[in-house]
Amino acid sequence: MFDVSTLLILIPGVPLLATLVTAALGRWVLGRRSHVPVVAATAISLAASLLLIAEVHHGAQGWHVPERSEGRGDSANHALRSSGRATQCEDQIGYEQTVTLWTWAAVDQAPRGGQSHLRGENAGWPRHDSRAAKTGAVPTGRDDAASRDFRIDVTLRADALTAIMLAVVSFVSLVVAVYSIGYMAGDPGYWRFFTYIGLFVFSMLMLVSVSNFVLLYVFWEAVGLCSYLLIGYWYDRPAAAAAGMKAFLVNRVGDFGFALGVFLLWTTYGTLDFHDTVAGGAVTSVGILGQTRLADPAMFATGATATAICLLLLLGACGKSAQFPLHVWLPDAMEGPSPVSALIHAATMVTAGVYLVARCAPLFAASADAGHVVAVVGGFTAVLGAVIALTQTDLKRILAYSTISQLGYMFLGLGVGTVLGVTAGMFHLFTHAFFKALLFLAAGSVMHAMGDVIDIRRLGGLRRRLPVTHWTFLAGCLALAGVLPFAGFWSKDMILAAVHEKAGAGGALYMVLYFAALATTFLTALYTFRAYFVTFFGVEKVPEEAGGHAHESGRAMTGPLVILAVCAVAVGAVFGWTHGFADFLRQTPSIAFLDARTAPMFDESQPPATAHLAIVVLSTVAALAGIALAAALYLGSGAAVSRLARVMNVLGLYRLSRGKFFFDELYRLVVVRPLAGLARACSWADDRVVDGLVDLCGRLPPALGSALRPMQNGMIQFYALAMILGLLVLFAAVFL
Amino acid sequence: MNFFEIVENTLRDTLGPSLTAFRPEMAVCATIVALLLTRMLAPRWKSSPFWLTVVGAAAALWFAAPWHYLSGETSERAATIFTGMLVFDTFSVYMRSLLFVFLVFFAVLVRVTGVPEREDLTEFFVLVLGAALGMCLMLSANHMLVVFLGIEMASVPSYVMAGMIRHRRASSEAALKYAVYGAATAGVMLYGISLLVGVLGSAHLPTMGTQLADMLAGGHFADRTMVLVLGGLMVMVGLAFKLSAVPFHFWLPDVFEGATAEVAAFLSIASKAAAMGLLVRLVIAFGYAPDATQLAALAPARQYMAMLIGTLAAVTCTFGNLAAYGQTNMKRLLGYSTIAHAGYMMMPVAAMAMLMGGEPAAARSAVSAVAFYVAVYLFMNLGAFAVVALVRNAAGSEEIDAYAGLIYRSTGVAVCFSIILFSLVGLPPLAGFAAKFVAFASVYDAGMLALLAVGLLNTVLSLFYYLRVVKVMVFDTAEDASGAMAMATSAGLYLLIVTAPLVVWGIWWNGLYAWAKAASAALS
Repeated sequence: MFDVSTLLILIPGVPLLATLVTAALGRWVLGRRSHVPVVAATAISLAASLLLIAEVHHGAQGWHVPERSEGRGDSANHALRSSGRATQCEDQIGYEQTVTLWTWAAVDQAPRGGQSHLRGENAGWPRHDSRAAKTGAVPTGRDDAASRDFRIDVTLRADALTAIMLAVVSFVSLVVAVYSIGYMAGDPGYWRFFTYIGLFVFSMLMLVSVSNFVLLYVFWEAVGLCSYLLIGYWYDRPAAAAAGMKAFLVNRVGDFGFALGVFLLWTTYGTLDFHDTVAGGAVTSVGILGQTRLADPAMFATGATATAICLLLLLGACGKSAQFPLHVWLPDAMEGPSPVSALIHAATMVTAGVYLVARCAPLFAASADAGHVVAVVGGFTAVLGAVIALTQTDLKRILAYSTISQLGYMFLGLGVGTVLGVTAGMFHLFTHAFFKALLFLAAGSVMHAMGDVIDIRRLGGLRRRLPVTHWTFLAGCLALAGVLPFAGFWSKDMILAAVHEKAGAGGALYMVLYFAALATTFLTALYTFRAYFVTFFGVEKVPEEAGGHAHESGRAMTGPLVILAVCAVAVGAVFGWTHGFADFLRQTPSIAFLDARTAPMFDESQPPATAHLAIVVLSTVAALAGIALAAALYLGSGAAVSRLARVMNVLGLYRLSRGKFFFDELYRLVVVRPLAGLARACSWADDRVVDGLVDLCGRLPPALGSALRPMQNGMIQFYALAMILGLLVLFAAVFL
Repeated sequence: MNFFEIVENTLRDTLGPSLTAFRPEMAVCATIVALLLTRMLAPRWKSSPFWLTVVGAAAALWFAAPWHYLSGETSERAATIFTGMLVFDTFSVYMRSLLFVFLVFFAVLVRVTGVPEREDLTEFFVLVLGAALGMCLMLSANHMLVVFLGIEMASVPSYVMAGMIRHRRASSEAALKYAVYGAATAGVMLYGISLLVGVLGSAHLPTMGTQLADMLAGGHFADRTMVLVLGGLMVMVGLAFKLSAVPFHFWLPDVFEGATAEVAAFLSIASKAAAMGLLVRLVIAFGYAPDATQLAALAPARQYMAMLIGTLAAVTCTFGNLAAYGQTNMKRLLGYSTIAHAGYMMMPVAAMAMLMGGEPAAARSAVSAVAFYVAVYLFMNLGAFAVVALVRNAAGSEEIDAYAGLIYRSTGVAVCFSIILFSLVGLPPLAGFAAKFVAFASVYDAGMLALLAVGLLNTVLSLFYYLRVVKVMVFDTAEDASGAMAMATSAGLYLLIVTAPLVVWGIWWNGLYAWAKAASAALS
């Protein structure tokens, strides 16, 4: 009944419709019922996403990991393949299906002939010939002399990676939207909130399903816009407005890199499509991540170009996914409503960077250096986030730094560059979406009950007052800390296994990263349970803002908490133990490509957990040690904590962590101050020079006019005069 | 061939292919006659001018049949009609179709907003259609006489339309200025034409092109360079007046301020589009010849035209944008914006002149860029002037201050106007961006990087004054918080329909661009 294309259109289409309805009718007609369209739309999207997973799974049946063939990279072999593709060939790498909705733009590019002297250097555009091979240029697989048309098709794609992202996004969106009914009740901007959420859901669903870098960039910006709007949702609070601005500006840095990366992709590959364009049974345009190129790895750019592309894309990913050094915006983004923190700044939007790197895995595979950078950035950010989270006192900020740290984990997995690594990174994205959304929503529930107080020093012993929140928060904490059998354990373990394997295959770098990751496990457990124990145990402390009648939140809020808690407990075991997630994800062309390229890195017959017993034991011990330390420190008197803080302060660590390593201050000094100076200079120049010019131009005609006005027929004479003068000037210009 | 055979042939040609191709213009003529007759025979039918004009313009559009000629179904290429006086090709089909679409929208706009002098409605539409007829001739001119005739036919009714509000002094003054200025440029242009025709020995455009090529190839033209250059320059003056290119733009802000917003819309869109099409035709006529050696010989002419048009474009664009800054009157601001956009539109024409010699495909896409830009510009300016007219009716003012807090008083109008302004700036994902993109892509193709830089800088410049209007609408509060502005439903609907293409073509610009591409397919 529903084929893949219908589903692909339906999934983002329905939320878009809901957004338009809410925007048009929310204020006057829907009012308190403004949530209805968005909730209904996300529910439909979720159902469609699940159907899509089934379809993709069904479509991928019969496909299996291709054996490594000796002939790969042989161009004759490649030609054979591309010609035989009309009949859904068996040796397709992974499973993908694309739907082209319409052609957005098609602008003919002038043929790069060499006739025009004006072109000069451009004449020697890379061609698919021996010369190109010698100079290391990348064959684009097209007749370049004839066509380098700028053409963008609005194309959606279905493959395992997209299907999983769609399901995660629509599921978390649905849960958060339902939660928001309770959380945002009574807010004067109720309809505005749901309009933004609907817009975000649409943009995010499009982000993960488009099959073109330009469109990816468009929706990349669109989710950034939604993030900005929702961080600054309470725009009358200066802190919220400032946080929105900060998020926007920091993201600009990353997006600039991303844009440059896209430009470089265009000049290198001559297309921006992921997929091959097939017309009449023949491939007319080889996509960057298309089957033709995947079948022939020699068609990928290598060397400095590849590294530059990957690093620029990584810069974009770092901005969106709050990785060092662009992580500073995410903690401030917690000024937005809690559901927003859960949906955008924990579960979905911030994982767009991870998605991007996973999608471009073949590009990263072409550059080992870029892979190392991804791993190092990820590993470093994981430790950094965890250390800062240790000393924060704002519950949502603790969770924000935890998100940064966990995203670092994902990047670490992706940086490994093997199938296991990429799968592990994506699996962590998957599990993290559930338990981190849960933690944020639970924190929101605490905030809701406590009159918007979120400072854990003013809270305590809330487990009796907020029983549901307490139990669900605990489930989230256990999942985050990575305790068997909770969700986080499985994915974290998989990442550790991937890093360990890479370390075993050589490379001291990855051994260091492995231990950094283990240390992060310990720190994660410590800060998570610090927050948990301080908030829910000890002497009951309820701030006066709560108004003395603090109680558990309503059913609209606890329901989603319970659902997410069940997921946080179960998804890891269900998909990790059975290996179902990894098997499904490996049908993605980009990831199957890695499979075909690299030797099998782990024994497929056994679940990873048993294959890496030592790692399991080590990480579990680290996590339990963290929990135990947290219990020892925070369940007793405060004396132990302050003593530890004093000891740490001798080393300067406590101050550093408390001050978030002073990145904000550093940036203010190095970036903001000079830029502000520049801005002042520009403003001065604008006032004096530009405005002066403008004023001059504005005054010129009237001034000239008033000079001539005393004459009888002032204006018209002047006009004629000006015309003749103009003619004379032009005439003179031609001859002089 | 004796006399009767000539008559016979002419008759066959005229009655056969020529009149068939000329059906849209005949529909316009018939509408003019019908308008005048109805006025005489059924004076009580007050809304007759509107209905007749809409029907007439729609019929003209039907006969122009862009869906037939531009969808690639037909293989018909360029054909000359009326013994070579006019040329009938996809470019003229495209541009004339735009003109008829505009006429339909324009008639509805006048109906929705209402012109001040209701009893003059018949005359008004007769003038509009008469001017449109002249524009049709401009767009398919293949002969210097038709060029001049077309320009004058389009201009003379415009002078009267500018002065339609008889009792307003500013209006009459503007009309007079316009007429005097127009007469002066017409004289200059006619002189230029006579110089060119005198040197080249023909007024038939393709013949003039080949004559010029032979002359340049022969090398014995040195003594006539001065005459040719001067003649070309003078013809350009006439066009620059219609295009309102600097320094021949002085009439425009005054006329826009004096005339009604509807007339300003007509002048800024239809007149500009026709002049643009004519400019493209003339550049092709003097820069292109089918024969390869002749084509090569025309290189200096192309160079000259590219530099001339490019310089005018750069100056026009920059001046228009800078002058728009200081404006407090919305119509004046849009007037300067019109000047700036004329500059943007001339840029791909310069690029085309540059590319015509070596790279016909690139030159064709430059023409497509012009055609695309004109279509987008049509809806942008139509929407903008419609808003001006609506706000004038509701608030009684055309000053920018009158737009303060519009978002609270009339949300829909403010949103539509913001979209239009953003599109005028050229921000994605709106059609204005697509138009600028294709135009600048052509300029880049031609290697005119200085011109490209000017265009891009101007886009940045223009951001400020367009967005200032948005700021006034959203952030400023009105002094007299007079509550909601009374807007008819039809007005809102009209604005929505005019704004919609900007959004649709923004995310689906290939829909229009495919036609624009077909429009340029038959050229060179």
